[in-house]
Amino acid sequence: MSHSSSRMLDRWMSAGMLAPALLLVGVLVLIPSVLAVVGSFYEFGITSQNWVFVGLGNYARAMADPIFWTALKNNIFLIIGSIITQVGLGTLFAALLDRGVRRGNTFYRTMIFMPVIISSIAVAFVWILIFDPNVGPLNAVIKGVGLTPPRLGWLGDPNISLYMLLVIAAWQNVGFQMVLVLAGLQAIPKELYEAAALDGAKGWRAFVHITLPGIRNVLMVGTLICIIGGLKVFDLVFVTTGGGPANATQVIGSYTYLQAFTLGNMGYADALSVILLVVALGFGWLQLTLSRRG
Amino acid sequence: MNGRTRLVAIGMHLILTVWTIFVVAPIGLMLISAFKSQAEIFTKPLSLPGSLNLSAFQRAWNIGIGSFMLNSLLVTVLSVAVIITTSGLAAYVLARSEAKVMKWLYILIIASFAIPVQSVLVPLYQMVSGGHMLNSQLGIVLPYAAFGIPFTTVLFYAFFLEFPRELEEAARLDGCSRLQIFFRIVVPLSGPVVASAAIFQAVFNWNEFLLALMMLTEKSVRTLPVGIYGLTTQYSSDWPAIMAALTIATLPLLILFILAQRHFVRSLAGLGK
Amino acid sequence: MPSLEIDNVKKSYDNFQALKGVSFRAEPGEFVVMVGPSGCGKSTLLRSIAGLETISSGAIRIDGRDIAHDDPSQRGVAMVFQNYALYPHMTVAQNMGFALKMAGRPKAEIDAAVQRAAQILRITEHLEKKPKALSGGQKQRVAIGRAITRSPDVFLFDEPLSNLDAALRSQMRIELGRLHAELKATMVYVTHDQTEAMTMASRIVVLNAGQIEQTGSPLELYNRPTNRFVAGFLGTPRMNFFAGRVVRQTGHSVSVQLPGVDINLELTLEGEGPGVGGEIVLGARPEALGGETGIEIAGTTAVVENLGREALVYVDAGALRTFDSESQEGYVAVHRSFQVESRFGAPTSIRLDASRLYAFGPDGRTIAFPHSL
Repeated sequence: MSHSSSRMLDRWMSAGMLAPALLLVGVLVLIPSVLAVVGSFYEFGITSQNWVFVGLGNYARAMADPIFWTALKNNIFLIIGSIITQVGLGTLFAALLDRGVRRGNTFYRTMIFMPVIISSIAVAFVWILIFDPNVGPLNAVIKGVGLTPPRLGWLGDPNISLYMLLVIAAWQNVGFQMVLVLAGLQAIPKELYEAAALDGAKGWRAFVHITLPGIRNVLMVGTLICIIGGLKVFDLVFVTTGGGPANATQVIGSYTYLQAFTLGNMGYADALSVILLVVALGFGWLQLTLSRRG
Repeated sequence: MNGRTRLVAIGMHLILTVWTIFVVAPIGLMLISAFKSQAEIFTKPLSLPGSLNLSAFQRAWNIGIGSFMLNSLLVTVLSVAVIITTSGLAAYVLARSEAKVMKWLYILIIASFAIPVQSVLVPLYQMVSGGHMLNSQLGIVLPYAAFGIPFTTVLFYAFFLEFPRELEEAARLDGCSRLQIFFRIVVPLSGPVVASAAIFQAVFNWNEFLLALMMLTEKSVRTLPVGIYGLTTQYSSDWPAIMAALTIATLPLLILFILAQRHFVRSLAGLGK
Repeated sequence: MPSLEIDNVKKSYDNFQALKGVSFRAEPGEFVVMVGPSGCGKSTLLRSIAGLETISSGAIRIDGRDIAHDDPSQRGVAMVFQNYALYPHMTVAQNMGFALKMAGRPKAEIDAAVQRAAQILRITEHLEKKPKALSGGQKQRVAIGRAITRSPDVFLFDEPLSNLDAALRSQMRIELGRLHAELKATMVYVTHDQTEAMTMASRIVVLNAGQIEQTGSPLELYNRPTNRFVAGFLGTPRMNFFAGRVVRQTGHSVSVQLPGVDINLELTLEGEGPGVGGEIVLGARPEALGGETGIEIAGTTAVVENLGREALVYVDAGALRTFDSESQEGYVAVHRSFQVESRFGAPTSIRLDASRLYAFGPDGRTIAFPHSL
């Protein structure tokens, strides 16, 4: 086989190997996101052929929509809350498993990780049952010790429902963060601790000077996963509260769904999507630059 | 061991035990409630069922959990197979080619990794319905694949970059064509990363809710998450049946997880790298 | 056994010329070692012969046939890689027979070839093992066996011993020598280790910055290096270099003064000298400074490396300092053929004998050799 023809063959083969993946991603991810941007400048219904150009109207509408701001605020609340609870507890448990506890290691890890693989729908329903005012065991316990459970229900009271969502999310995801940090901890060479001990750094000081810098990248990834998860949250909210009561727990994901498929405001839903897209790409870019530096 | 370190050790176990109980209790509640009668749920929320009552499972099964499960299995297996194959081929070319255009294609893949499903709900729905693929398994497999490919490609790309170049050169000298190198040398040695990617995507697609909710509106094609969701709007007060359905939906993955927990943990923790 | 001819081979990457026109010829059955510092182009040249790199111009001929644009597997070459490059998912036997299998040879023929190679390398009892179960030395044997099974025209070795420990390395050197004698094959071997080059080569090719500095037998290169690079590259410890100045010239006889040392050395040049007042570099191998003849220069002991029966002494000779040596800090390396009690600062001396020195002109070419060579 002559050289140039084998090169041509190589080129065709490369194209052939790339094509399926690029085609799928291009047609079903990239083109739709462009279409979402285009659609956000129009007003149209779910089946209507009648597209009305409204320019930036949908974005102006979002800026003036108190529910949009509530939803955005709730996303941010869930992001910050889950960073504190999930990364915090995950790191604590990982540290205990890595250096503190010798017996039952695998057992703890398996159990704490277990909820990660359960579908969020199942998680949501189990917690609906737990929180149920009539048949839920939580109220039964609270009443049993002589206290009064919230009158509107755990998920029905706008003042506490978001916190409950945070509890459920922590229940499901702490195990994931724990395993992530644990992998980071185990990657720190034991010699570093020995060297630090010779230099007089033990216990808390070893943690500050050896452990924390060693898992800095992992903590950053964990934080970013919380941020992205908090931006994309949908299932849990949709099933447990449906965004209620009175839109108090609405998030961008559920609000977009509501506008598109319940109210039929497709253009407005597109605008909400694009806002989410911009924020998500921003964080994606941040992740890329941070991981490059690491 | 002196008294103080002993106390510290007990404290550590205590913290982990409390969280473990917190984690296990709801799962236990799901299992227990599935065996209760409807009356028991109301009258004795905190106690064990009086007898091993399987009627809730029967009701759940009659509603169609079996077909939801088959649909989930079909959709998950198909989408994971498509994701692994297409991502593997693409990542290999991207990792091996030195052409500039490949760098841009890789950046494009990374960018699409950051695009959430929520951002393309409306156009995706219109495309799928325009292609008359609403309520078809293929209509959901293809988006699942498309959204799984970027992450998997990035994962494989990193693996292929680390793959010893000398092995491929040795194979070239031994007379392998490019495809032969891929299938006879690279693929047989990619077992761990393929397993990682497959586990991750399988868990994700088995549990996926939003796209399924949007595109699988007919009961006969629903996967477990939407199926169960639809069921609860119909039988909202039949808690034992709902919990039985959840148990059926969750148990296969839970058993698989307990058996192969090491692989699961490694696969999902691999995200951090 | 066929010959291998490299004819004016050039290779450039985007803006870097890795090979600037390299030519040499390996006669049938020769063991050619390409040696040079890292980045000199020796690996690029080897990989170009194998077909893993495409050359920009020139020809690579095996038995007169230009193979420079053939597919790697069609060139009749086999390569042994630095990291062994054994397929981890195949047994030793499958590794060794893979090329023949890809070529579609019958199973019986493959088995016979594998058996024969395994016998030569004494790895028959490992044939059914996976590479993971083997030690470093055994892996290297399998890698060599894989090459033998193909019965190639030319064997290529890419720093094959650099991952082995010192003891195993010297053992494998001997083994490779035996193998070459047994197979009588044409072999090209790349290394940065000049000991390997000196001990195994029937011919050494010294490469530097993409060009050949000199080719020849090991002793030829050691005794009569044509330039300062080759003189400094071969031999451990390195040749000592002293910067001097020509103070008098009559025909081919020059008188050289070393700065700071009040001595004149009379040398006979073979080539053009730099002229009176010109700079000249004198070179002395460590074994040439420990003799009984020549001008004695007093100094003190800086470092002693006892090698057992003999010793290397690094001498602080005051103003007489070597240059062009990163590791010696200007100390003069002297080889003593007896044991030396190591003591820092102890008085000692070296002897500069003009008849045992090399001299290099301003362009680096060798212009004088020791009289005996």
